[in-house]
Amino acid sequence: MAGQGIHRREVLRILGTAAAAAHFPGFSKWGFACGHIGNAALQIKPAHYQPQFFTAPEYADVERLAEIIIPSDATPGAKEAGVAEFIDFMVAHTDEVQYPFRMGLAWLNARAGQINGKPFSELTAEQQNALLVPLGFKDKARPGEEDGRRFFALMREYTVTGFYTSEIGYKELDNPALKFYSESPQCPHKDDPEHKHLSSTNS
Amino acid sequence: MAKKVYDVIVIGTGAGGGMAIKTLCEAGLKVCALNSGRRLDPEKDFRFHRMPWDMKFRGLDDPKHRAQSFGYMDNEYTKAAWDHEIPFTVAPGTQWMWPRASAVGGKTNFWGRSSARFGDIDFKAASLDGNDVDWPVTYAEIDPFYTRVEKMIGVASTVQNRPSNPDGTYLPPFNFRCLDFILESACKKLGVPYLPDRCAQLTRPHEGHPACHYCGECTTGCDVGAFFSSPYFLLPKAEATRNLELRTDALAKNVLVDENGQAAGVAYMDRKTRQEVEVYGRAVVVAAGCIESSRIMLNSKSRHWPNGIANSSGQLGRNLCDHLYGDSARGYLPQLMGQPSFPDHVADSTIAWMPRWQNLNNPREEKFIRGYAVYPDGGCREFPYYANELDGFGSSFKREIKRRYPAPVSFGIQAPTLRSDSNYMDLDPEVKDPYGSPVARMHFEWDENVLKMWEHSKEICAEIIRAAGGEFVGSADAPQIPGWSLHEVGTCRMGNDPKKFVTNRFGQAHDVPNLYVCDASVFLNCTDKTTTISIMAFTLRTSEHLIENFRQGTHKTA
Repeated sequence: MAGQGIHRREVLRILGTAAAAAHFPGFSKWGFACGHIGNAALQIKPAHYQPQFFTAPEYADVERLAEIIIPSDATPGAKEAGVAEFIDFMVAHTDEVQYPFRMGLAWLNARAGQINGKPFSELTAEQQNALLVPLGFKDKARPGEEDGRRFFALMREYTVTGFYTSEIGYKELDNPALKFYSESPQCPHKDDPEHKHLSSTNS
Repeated sequence: MAKKVYDVIVIGTGAGGGMAIKTLCEAGLKVCALNSGRRLDPEKDFRFHRMPWDMKFRGLDDPKHRAQSFGYMDNEYTKAAWDHEIPFTVAPGTQWMWPRASAVGGKTNFWGRSSARFGDIDFKAASLDGNDVDWPVTYAEIDPFYTRVEKMIGVASTVQNRPSNPDGTYLPPFNFRCLDFILESACKKLGVPYLPDRCAQLTRPHEGHPACHYCGECTTGCDVGAFFSSPYFLLPKAEATRNLELRTDALAKNVLVDENGQAAGVAYMDRKTRQEVEVYGRAVVVAAGCIESSRIMLNSKSRHWPNGIANSSGQLGRNLCDHLYGDSARGYLPQLMGQPSFPDHVADSTIAWMPRWQNLNNPREEKFIRGYAVYPDGGCREFPYYANELDGFGSSFKREIKRRYPAPVSFGIQAPTLRSDSNYMDLDPEVKDPYGSPVARMHFEWDENVLKMWEHSKEICAEIIRAAGGEFVGSADAPQIPGWSLHEVGTCRMGNDPKKFVTNRFGQAHDVPNLYVCDASVFLNCTDKTTTISIMAFTLRTSEHLIENFRQGTHKTA
């Protein structure tokens, strides 16, 4: 049963790619199986993703912001998971967030210009961080930056969605989803129903 | 050419329709079943074993379609099953969500599976607290039908001896997870029951169906049929008798009547050809789901039935009741923070329940009458929904998401409304569906009693989180909108008095004895329990009553 499921998933992945590829050149980091019909064709991932909505400079900012929000540190982050590609693809398909994203990026660059005299992409990592901390941390919020905070929250929401629905995101959480079991899994600490003993071991 | 006449025309193939079809076919009656949508092909249409990154929109569906989405169950994994073509309207001030699964098997394809029996505390609630009227059945009458349905479908649970919840015959329960033991301990301190849910999902192979493989994706369908659904458990048995003709893409429009105003068949729209087709039978079973069944009956106007078939009481479409759903409380269990991930999601939300514990000693102990149930949930889910509540960004943010991954808990209330004259459905005089039939118009608002239950549940569920040593985060600002639970009932209520009720105690229309209703519309109210297993138990009883009427010659076989 388990083997069947995985086998089918692989087949669907291959079958579906052709139908999707007819309209969309594809993601560089992953492929999806969205169709049920189409000629069997192996997936060809383009070397570089072609943004569907953002301009090249906007897309570079989205990539950078996603990397800052979920960085590559001890484990892979938004960059490895191709989160910017996901965000661009979703925004291209979501009319109501196109304006907030575009205006938000414009706001960010205007603010970078006011504070540092340069666009966001040309700031050092420290300068970028200093600009974003008041937008992303509640206790560091500054008056007059409400638009920026709203944009950052939107950007963060899309980054979280893109990252934790990716294979890399599943591995980050050791997501138990879609494993199969022969018995209903059960708590291994039944001798301590309140689980008080765990509190001392928690990080 | 002489027109073909079947013994019974059944509208709908879900829990009620499926059970009626199986029971009638096995008794040797010739059945023509009408289903408004197509058959699902599990290989193509059940996408639940796919990872989100295999889906075009990560399982979230095309954002352009999301505005018309029916909510949590209607997504990229299940889109083949839902009907978005038939509109409905709401009266000013009403909010209503009406998810309709038009695929063969209806909502049983991916239902919540909680399967508690109704009891005399429900059937005789009016005698206890003076509100509304008692049901025209007793628990002793319906008990054997529940037992037979449980044997047919397999329900995992335990004998619990709860005054509000009669026990049945069960498969072994789902095992408790860490969070269940923690919450159970907290509930004990507060005198609240925390027990294995009654889940129509197979913890052992049962009646030729395989045991669950605990993938945790039940609400997007099961391609091995390890939980009850009509297409896996009922329809194959009916088809094996060769007494069934199932017509798909057949949207029932109205019940046809003979010169005496009795049911003679059904007119339906073939959704492929967009032509109207008539099919004839000696009896008709309407099982299209509460509101749709009532819409079909209200649209069945004739010289005999100017206000809709079998509506001499004027009660058809009235007395709509629903379950209030909402997140009463959510928080985190610090004991579980930083622990290794665990497959908490294996039964997709129905491992434990908190069956009604209010107003059991005295029907007016609380500020509200009757009672509600709560479904606890939590642990490692497919997606860290709590992430947007956390502050900040960067490595600390990423670490915090991981640390909290096993720790979220939440409580969802299931609370019944009381019958009210102002909650009902009728036909919109202006708006028609694309096939020319007037659409349903909803009139509904939460009553004071159910909103008191909502407030009560928020307090007690927050206390439970605190008693568990947990971090209480908050409650939803408002309950979900009406219709969200998919548990609407009451528009063809059963009762002994033809002046006050649409159907008799067997779900047979008082005015039209060869017309039967086999869905939750015959229930007098929602109770604190889910509806599906009761739809099946009542339908089994109704179907056997119908068969008996054929045997005795009340209805003549075709």
